[in-house]
Amino acid sequence: MFNEVYKNSKVRKPYNQIIDWAKSLPENVIVKKKNEAESLFKRIGITFSVYNNFDSTERLIPFDMFPRILSSSEWKTIEKGVIQRALAINAFLNDIYNTAEIVKAGIIPEDLIFKNPAYEIKMVGFKVPKNIYSPIIGSDIIRINDKSFKILEDNCRTPSGVSYMIENREIMMRMFPELFEKLKIETVENYPTYLLEILKTLTPLKCENEPKIVILTPGSFNSAYYEHSFLADLMGVELVQGPDLYVDENITYMKTTKGPEKVDIIYRRIDDNFIDPISFDSTSLIGVPGLFDSYKSGNLNICSAPGAGVADDKAIYAYMHEIIKFYLGEEAILDNVKTWRCFKADEKKYVLNNLHKLVVKEVHGSGGYGLLIGSKSSKKEIEVFKKKIEANPSNYIAQPILDLSSVPIFSKKELSPRHVDLRPFCLVGAKKTKLVSGGLTRVALKKGSLVVNSSQGGGVKDTWVINE
Amino acid sequence: MLSRTAENLFWSARYIERADSLARLLEVGYRISLIPNTKSGYINEWESILETSGIKETYLQQNHKITKEKIISFLLFDTNNPSSIKNCIKNARENIRMVRTAVTLEVWNAINSTFHDLESNTRSTKNILKELPEIIEWVKRQVNLIRGTILNTQLINDGYDFLILGTYFERADFTARIINVKYFILLPSVNYVGSEVDNFQWSMMLRSISSFRAFKWAYGEEQINYIKIIDFLILNMTCPRSLIFSVEKINHHLERLCKFYKQKTKAKSQVKLMYRDLKKLNANEISNIGLHEFLRSFIKDINVIYSNLEKKYFFGTEE
Repeated sequence: MFNEVYKNSKVRKPYNQIIDWAKSLPENVIVKKKNEAESLFKRIGITFSVYNNFDSTERLIPFDMFPRILSSSEWKTIEKGVIQRALAINAFLNDIYNTAEIVKAGIIPEDLIFKNPAYEIKMVGFKVPKNIYSPIIGSDIIRINDKSFKILEDNCRTPSGVSYMIENREIMMRMFPELFEKLKIETVENYPTYLLEILKTLTPLKCENEPKIVILTPGSFNSAYYEHSFLADLMGVELVQGPDLYVDENITYMKTTKGPEKVDIIYRRIDDNFIDPISFDSTSLIGVPGLFDSYKSGNLNICSAPGAGVADDKAIYAYMHEIIKFYLGEEAILDNVKTWRCFKADEKKYVLNNLHKLVVKEVHGSGGYGLLIGSKSSKKEIEVFKKKIEANPSNYIAQPILDLSSVPIFSKKELSPRHVDLRPFCLVGAKKTKLVSGGLTRVALKKGSLVVNSSQGGGVKDTWVINE
Repeated sequence: MLSRTAENLFWSARYIERADSLARLLEVGYRISLIPNTKSGYINEWESILETSGIKETYLQQNHKITKEKIISFLLFDTNNPSSIKNCIKNARENIRMVRTAVTLEVWNAINSTFHDLESNTRSTKNILKELPEIIEWVKRQVNLIRGTILNTQLINDGYDFLILGTYFERADFTARIINVKYFILLPSVNYVGSEVDNFQWSMMLRSISSFRAFKWAYGEEQINYIKIIDFLILNMTCPRSLIFSVEKINHHLERLCKFYKQKTKAKSQVKLMYRDLKKLNANEISNIGLHEFLRSFIKDINVIYSNLEKKYFFGTEE
């Protein structure tokens, strides 16, 4: 396991100053600050909802005060790699909804794309505004050793967590201003400004004036509702729900106290299926009837584009190096994690014989659900999974059990290492692609655990890029 | 502003005002239970509290007997009672949470922390009767805090108008209701009007809307009497709980909205007429019309104005 703080019992450079600080904090101060942070989170209302929980549906996400630190040279690699990937993903989406050259070239099997549940047949041949399908991409990055960062998965639909990135920083600055005076920590607070900037460039065909942008949320019961309202607030745009909008003659309006007002760009935080009960799931109450026609007639842009989810499918993920090479003619800057695709007979055979040392994931799953960690599972659980894979091999991929790098947390008595990952948020506009220097560090709070998802006992940390 | 935002702001303020009114009602109930020799009045009082808050039926569906402990917990913490203080605070917060960006951080903090503290109060309360005065004080203090942050930190724009409108629609409705219940339920026979029992009941009512001392200041040390009370609670512009005061506020803020949006509304012309008529009335005339009749038509008119406001601003279409 790669310990980000200690290497051969010496402190690694980015953590030099912080480790002295952390060790100098008396126990009572740590407890006091922890409580302070918690009450701040609670007061501001930064909560997330947990499904299948009947009564008190709002939870606080656990926050740990020990920062996760990256040097600016480490960050540069991540930044370049993430931007490269974001551009390749958009080129890929543009291709598969048009001439599908990558299939013709025999690089990706056609079934994997055209039979993919996230592939949206209604999008075929449609020219998406500025050719951007996925303007906000959150890729999950893990660290294996001193040199190498790897991408574990991409999220190209509606990645969440960016509000934590910003609020974690706010809280750290409030509690430990002295650290920010001393160290040159790159700021992350520009994210909402950048997001607005790039959305503004994604105007639909029929939009002559300054575009009217709104964020579309499923509502206050959604687990990421806080984030939706947080972004709307910082961007200065309306946060709307389905019933606030309607479509008349293919033009989308919102209902205001002054009467109808035209909407040009929707940053939607609703899944494809639910955005429009006429074109998609007819039972959706959170969508807007006619929205998709408004989109296709060039009166409206929906970000991300319906059908963008094909690109973050775990089976497509396995081809990401080829995708980057095919569209950009470059080698991938950030490595993928070795992935066995169970639809291939030889790879499936390897998986079935080595389940005890693999992580098996559902191709379309997310949130840390529906996966098997071989080394932590009983024989019975492994047998159950074996049958599942045999029954539907194309639904599964397997990866080695990775030793995620570790960063300490303030546990009861002392600093104690825990596994972390990193999610930076890459913004893709018509002309520029950029990201703020930082991201969301998720941490598995249980000792030894590798699952960092907030729905499964994960917490968050502030992430610092230190300018050397 | 989004129609839904306006609606959420309106209802949030309305729920906050309702929580405040309920706390004051409970205060009166508690006070009466401390006064000797009001045995029959005491049961009546609790019953009329249920009546005033419009939840007698809901209560009787869930409870067989009218006892003070049950009523108190029903009004305070019971989540099965749609208008318990707890549900009012919860609804106020939920409405604001849906439009988090339309209020300042301070307003949100005030409402959100009230909600969280009430959750923990509910858990820690052991003897509801003993702790009641403290809880009531706390609710009133929180409501004043929330209102203070609204007055001091919100932009004075259309959103502010909807917040204030919510407050005064609720207050007009509640005050009218409380006068009506006192008059109608407690004094079915005209012979009682003006008697000692009557005076006691009226003074309790003044307390329930926190106007007992204000009344004394406004009308001097003389005996409370029926006509003065009507004047004070309905027609006195200096009394912030009087009907005319709420109507004037509604008139003012609907007018501001008309100017802000440069649009005329039915609700505005109706409330303007209502305000003009109230200004011309005196207490004796109301007594001649019949207080009950007067209040009934007042409540009806306010509801009509509300439904026109709803049509105009909350759904984006007007008939």
